[in-house]
Amino acid sequence: MRGSDRLAWPYLLGLAALVALPAVAAFGLAFTEYSGLTSPEFTGLDNFSRMIGESAFWRSLGNSVIYIAISVPLRLLAVVALTLLLHSHFRGSSTGRASAYLPTVIPDVAYSLLWLWLLNPLYGPLAGIFASLGLTSPSWLTEPTSARFAVAIMGVFQIGEGLVIALAARRVLPEHLFEAARVDGAGAWFTFKRITLPLLAPVLLLLTLRDVILALQLNFVPALLMTDGGPRQATTFLPLYVYRQAFRYFRLGYASAVSLTMFVVTGLAIYALYRMSKRWRLA
Amino acid sequence: MVVGPSGSGKSTLLRCVAGLEKLDSGRIKVGPKDVTDATPGERDVAMVFQDYALYPHLDVTTNISFPLLARKVDQAEIAEKVARAAQMLDIEDVLGRRPGELSGGERRRVSLARAVVREPAAFLMDEPLSSLDAGLRLRVLEEIRSLQRATGTTTLYVTHDQTEAMMLGTRVAVLRLGRLEQVGHPLDLYDRPVNTFVARFIGRTPMNLLPPKLLGLDRGAQVGVRAEHLRLVPGGGRLEAAVAAVDHLGADVLIESFAGDHQVLVLAPRDVAPSVGESISLDLRDDDLHLFDGEGTALR
Repeated sequence: MRGSDRLAWPYLLGLAALVALPAVAAFGLAFTEYSGLTSPEFTGLDNFSRMIGESAFWRSLGNSVIYIAISVPLRLLAVVALTLLLHSHFRGSSTGRASAYLPTVIPDVAYSLLWLWLLNPLYGPLAGIFASLGLTSPSWLTEPTSARFAVAIMGVFQIGEGLVIALAARRVLPEHLFEAARVDGAGAWFTFKRITLPLLAPVLLLLTLRDVILALQLNFVPALLMTDGGPRQATTFLPLYVYRQAFRYFRLGYASAVSLTMFVVTGLAIYALYRMSKRWRLA
Repeated sequence: MVVGPSGSGKSTLLRCVAGLEKLDSGRIKVGPKDVTDATPGERDVAMVFQDYALYPHLDVTTNISFPLLARKVDQAEIAEKVARAAQMLDIEDVLGRRPGELSGGERRRVSLARAVVREPAAFLMDEPLSSLDAGLRLRVLEEIRSLQRATGTTTLYVTHDQTEAMMLGTRVAVLRLGRLEQVGHPLDLYDRPVNTFVARFIGRTPMNLLPPKLLGLDRGAQVGVRAEHLRLVPGGGRLEAAVAAVDHLGADVLIESFAGDHQVLVLAPRDVAPSVGESISLDLRDDDLHLFDGEGTALR
């Protein structure tokens, strides 16, 4: 082992003790009945068969899938748009970059409370804007569809990290290519479609995969604090469902089974995306 | 042909013509058309970049077609023009590859094909040979020459290498620090440089500049004579010098010698090469002398 590798040991130990072991233990619990008060009892695949029969599980899985379907493309679109807008140097571009990053550093709880105010149908600023335009504001958090959208839209502003990665990727593209395209008579859209997008594709693919993983967890705090999973279970996403099963109903074994399922589903989603993107990666 | 040392503004000049850089003053015309305020795409000029600027994710065919695709030329016409350009530059075998899989010479040819395929009013070439190794340079230079002849397209060619300028240019402009020093036929610049800068820049070696007294002259502040115009004689020449170094160039040698404090470069055939430390006698013809005043401007 080389000297530099030895430096990795503290990290690897921490990773094993704090991440790998609890994960293995939790996956082990998935095959037991465990309330936290008595010792776990091995029940084989009982938790999984119960899960399959439980409509609340399917509803929260569906909610999570819908959330991913809305949030991931919107976030990707926002990252690409802001990257194109902010990668070059102009007056106010660094302020623009800072403000685009800012929502990401706000703690999740504060961020959720802020949105609770923004979306408030009576005295929130969004309602005010709708009213001043003579429109009726959507009821946001009190209707299932608009509540799902509201929670997804909140996430669209927290793209700081992805933006930094995409900006860096855009900055390293040689400027000569874009000059060549200009002399070749390519317009802005043509250049974007044929040059910028394909060259950024590998990084955007990475961001998409990362976002799918992130999107499964991103909505826990808003769902807990803002909507409490409602209205009519519309924002009970998988993390909130697991949390409730574990810490409200003390079905820790069952919650572990759902977590394990979530893990596998994420893995499958990533694999499917990865296979679908073969064409992209050639760039 | 635009030539000058680095920092002389030759690339900036080219980028101005391409529309990639804004002008502070003046107008640019391509043929009869004033294009000063036109976008790069509207100028009907094709640019060949120093570092190729090929699109790395597109195959050679698409790279060459790019300017036509951007202009929405129809598919059949594109295919025909690309085939013709590829044939002209002998890159038909690599059409399916990506730039990363090509040699330097092939990349250069692809970048030339991308310019040719547009049939523009002018080619702009930014140091097209500088990224190639010495062996390829001459071949690609020949290709550029024949390409230019075959298409008859006006070419603005930027280089820091005066040899390229002499070989390719019909009219050569010498730039220094953003100013045009002289423009003319390559031999004009060689035979009649307007100042000491052009005299030292054009030619295989910088022109020797000596005080007139040293050659028994009483006109001018400096007198110039090219290394290749000095002849070694057994004795009684117009200039005596001591040899400091002898560099072999193959058929001939470059002798660095000193007449007093003044450096004198001499190109001589190999068989008469003196040895270091030897004293040599040099002769020259009056016709080969160039007289300059105190500011370095040529006296006629």
